Amino acid sequence: MSTDSLTAGKASRRKSSHAAKPGPQSPENAPRRRKGLSERNRPLWMLIPGGLLMVIIIVVPLLLGIFMSGLDLDQYSLRKWVSAPFIGVQNFVEALTASPLLHAIWLSVSYSLLAMVVTIPLGIAGAVATQNAFKGRAVIRSIFLIPYVLPSFVVATVWRTMFQPGSVIDSALHSVGIDPGLWLNGPQSFWTLILVQIWASWPFVYLLALSGLQSVDHEVHEASALDGALWWNKLRYVVFPYLKGPLALAFLIGMLHHINNFTLPFVLFGVPAPSDVELLPILTYVTSFQSFRFGLSAAMAFISLILIAIPLFVYLRAVKLDDSETPGGKK
Amino acid sequence: MKFASSAKFAAVALTAALALTACGGGNSSSGGSAGPVDGKGKKLSVLTGVNAQYSAQQKQWFTDIAAKFKAQTGADVEFETFASANDELTRIQTSVVSGQGPDVYSLGTTFTPTAYATKAFVTLSDDDWKKLGGKDKFNQAALGISGPDAQHQAGIPFVSRPFVMAYNKDILAAAGIDKPASSWDELAAQAKKMTNPTTGTFGLATGYKDNFDPWKFIWAMSVQAGNPLVDGKTLKLDDPTVKKAYDTYFGWLTKDKVVDPASIGWSNSNAVAAFASGKAGYLLMTTSSSLPTLEKSAVAGKYAYATMPTTAPGQTSPQGDAANAASILSGDNVVVADYSKQKDLAFAYINLITSKDEQLNFQKIFGDLPANAEALKSLDNPALKPVADTAAKSKATPFTGAWGDIQLALLNVVVQSIPDLSKGSVDDSSLQARLKDAQTKGQASLDRASK
Amino acid sequence: MSTATTAVGRRSGEDFRPGSKRQHEVTRLMPGPMLAIILTLLCALVLIPVAYIFLASVNSDIGVARGEFLPSTFSFENYTKIWTSVGLATGLANSVLVAGSTAVVSALMSIATAYVLVRYQFRGRLTILRGLLALQSVPGTLMVLPVFVLFSSAASYLGIQVIGTQWGLFVTYLTFAMPFSTWVMVTYLRGLPRELEEAARIDGASNLGVLVRIILPLSWPGVVVSGIFAFLLGWNDVLFASVMTRPESQTAAVALQVFGASQEGGAIPFYGQMMAASLVCAAPVVILYLIFQRYLVGGLTAGGVK
Repeated sequence: MSTDSLTAGKASRRKSSHAAKPGPQSPENAPRRRKGLSERNRPLWMLIPGGLLMVIIIVVPLLLGIFMSGLDLDQYSLRKWVSAPFIGVQNFVEALTASPLLHAIWLSVSYSLLAMVVTIPLGIAGAVATQNAFKGRAVIRSIFLIPYVLPSFVVATVWRTMFQPGSVIDSALHSVGIDPGLWLNGPQSFWTLILVQIWASWPFVYLLALSGLQSVDHEVHEASALDGALWWNKLRYVVFPYLKGPLALAFLIGMLHHINNFTLPFVLFGVPAPSDVELLPILTYVTSFQSFRFGLSAAMAFISLILIAIPLFVYLRAVKLDDSETPGGKK
Repeated sequence: MKFASSAKFAAVALTAALALTACGGGNSSSGGSAGPVDGKGKKLSVLTGVNAQYSAQQKQWFTDIAAKFKAQTGADVEFETFASANDELTRIQTSVVSGQGPDVYSLGTTFTPTAYATKAFVTLSDDDWKKLGGKDKFNQAALGISGPDAQHQAGIPFVSRPFVMAYNKDILAAAGIDKPASSWDELAAQAKKMTNPTTGTFGLATGYKDNFDPWKFIWAMSVQAGNPLVDGKTLKLDDPTVKKAYDTYFGWLTKDKVVDPASIGWSNSNAVAAFASGKAGYLLMTTSSSLPTLEKSAVAGKYAYATMPTTAPGQTSPQGDAANAASILSGDNVVVADYSKQKDLAFAYINLITSKDEQLNFQKIFGDLPANAEALKSLDNPALKPVADTAAKSKATPFTGAWGDIQLALLNVVVQSIPDLSKGSVDDSSLQARLKDAQTKGQASLDRASK
Repeated sequence: MSTATTAVGRRSGEDFRPGSKRQHEVTRLMPGPMLAIILTLLCALVLIPVAYIFLASVNSDIGVARGEFLPSTFSFENYTKIWTSVGLATGLANSVLVAGSTAVVSALMSIATAYVLVRYQFRGRLTILRGLLALQSVPGTLMVLPVFVLFSSAASYLGIQVIGTQWGLFVTYLTFAMPFSTWVMVTYLRGLPRELEEAARIDGASNLGVLVRIILPLSWPGVVVSGIFAFLLGWNDVLFASVMTRPESQTAAVALQVFGASQEGGAIPFYGQMMAASLVCAAPVVILYLIFQRYLVGGLTAGGVK
């Protein structure tokens, strides 16, 4: 059993699944499907409550949002929005050609990625360091959670006050002879955002990594202790494979969180944002809630949803997150 | 669904209209003022801004008004509050779209044009005004931003909160200045005399990174130079007066060096803090709501309010209507939601809170100036005189649904110039480019508005 | 469920038994000094800004606005003021109620959903898994307006008043937490060997029986983590809470936002009270975690399988 789990990260995955395609399908395209447990008495009803909720609260409003993206919906037509003029793809054309949308998507994705690249090692380090029991571990584990527990706008307000010209951070850097320049405006604001985002979201990775560490079998520890493996090798070859799933998930969800994070840049930089941090959520927010161009904003959101969904699925396939250890896959 | 909802809407509107005419007819004999509205068993919902400075007093005020309203009409009032302008916008939009929510809204004056453009709020008829005690009851200047013209008004003035400046009497006296400046040039000259970087004292305190302040300076200086910014269907941000305004505003930092270099990162509250700790001669673009902070600070008793300059940069005396553009017409309007099923009750409530006694009471608690004409006239607090004077010299921002975007475009010029400001100068060509961009964006929005 | 709790408690207790020195050595992942360095660095990273929050909470608002780190005046009065100025107590009670029930229900629903998705093969399984992630990527700002329209039409056509009640928030947060919670459980459940269930099935356990008696007790780390995420989603949300609550159903995050409200041209925001209130609001969550982190021990550690 332990060897099975040991290699779970690498060996036991099927290439890909044909069952993924929706729509009518013939039953024979699941040659590996194991009869027995998986086929009989499937408690599919357990999917109903969650599924129903998601359809009603997310899918229906989403469709409504997509419908809005085809309307010329602004403050002049908002009140009777259902009868706002339908203008087809005009909003999409405007979003792509006459708005900073593509630049905003680029900024959002690159900042999310850079922040994620740092938070992952931080999260792993935190998880590994609090895995073994020691006195005060519970307290330290809880301390690590604090940035994640504070509301975003408090985090942003705090960092904004600290980053203000002549404030705490500036005077600390001045005392060691560095003139940092502007934090909240100009090109450097992009890096400020990344820095604050890292602070706010590394506990998220840490939590997932910590839960992942719990699935390491005790036998594995014992086996590698018998081998006398060095700690670094043990971490790398024995423990990390267990973290692959949770971390792949953390990366994905973390990226989405960052890309959709509105409060942090909004409170840090205000509106209108400096052009170096005119991120996607800021742009859609301003378009819809300040300029009242709801149709245009919905089109922007929809375009970005697609542009983000494509790499997302490429990634999903690359790390096989959705396909590891399918029921029939275990040999 | 479309048919169903509009049919339903029509039905509601019809009933409301019937109810209105019925009431109007019944009350016409009672001399214009509202007759008693029977609201027994009903509940009026009111959305208003939270007053963080006076939260306990505001709660008390809610309770008191609710009790008085209950005594008058038999109905209850439920108050809801919003914390920020964004919060307010979201609330309004969701209510407008769904056709349900509060009956009465409190709106900032600059937001009234946008709200009016949605047509989701009642445009008052003569009968409606009668229910409020007639239009004459209000300070006529405060009605300047209630609607596009005198016949179409949706915003009912509730309080005035004009923008003024505060000055530190000691610092002015030490620099040998006996009177606060009345032109922008004089202001800069006085500020230079007061600035002393070695002691950390600066002539002016203002926040370049504030989310609202910068456009108000640009608006004031441009309007005083004779450019109303919006002229019919054309936006005039590419006018030399606007560029001159930006040059003056940026110049305090780059040429005159009369503001703290850190103020490129300040919001208004940081400027208040600098002034409150006695480090600045003038605090620009403030309102009477800075009073509680200043009273508790190091400058308590040493400061006074004054009207901001009304002479455009480069000129020696106010030109044209400039003397009446000391501040944007600022304060709160109340509007009644069009979907409300109890409009009469809503008007009865507004009649109550805009009565002379309630307005004076409100002024006493919160410091905002009354919009009720009689109440305003009866104010005799000398400290408030400059503020009250400014209220009479306030000018409405252009009444267009595009104003929100124009405001944002004006602000954006400052935001994008901040890196240049920190380097010490904003070069002409990039400022021109930013202005051109603002002009394009604002004009596009104006085109949508006049479509 | 109670048996599960004690079982886990017993297991985690083993590490601390006097004779467990060897066990400890075996599971150790890093040399001691290295551990100490990492812990110190991470604690500093977290605690310096938190210290700033604390110092600001005892400072004057003017002091904070001027950018002081060490307060020039010192007072704890903000910690008493916050209870009267914004109704923080009501807010906290509502937050605990809404976020707490969101956490519990979403953890339970997601474990059931994830169990089916991991253990059973059926058409559309992968579509559902991927669809969940797609739903996760829908931005909240796009959803506010449609969700509100949906709820308000529920009121006008079905007569169900959800806006302004805790129910509306609960349902919204629950739904938005589901995709992610389900995925957390999916990745966690994959690590569990199926032999245990098969044994139980041979003994005649039903699907639900297996889930409740076998899977749930083994999945505490996953349940705790997905519960925390769901909890914090509801705890920190301002976007939906500000449009869907009334004063009596307001959550703590919305109440807290009042402090950040700076009026145009007005006075200084109540930084001190804001910082004090945010620390007070963070406390229950951190304490809750302090309690629940005990369950963040391997569901399969030391003999759980044998």
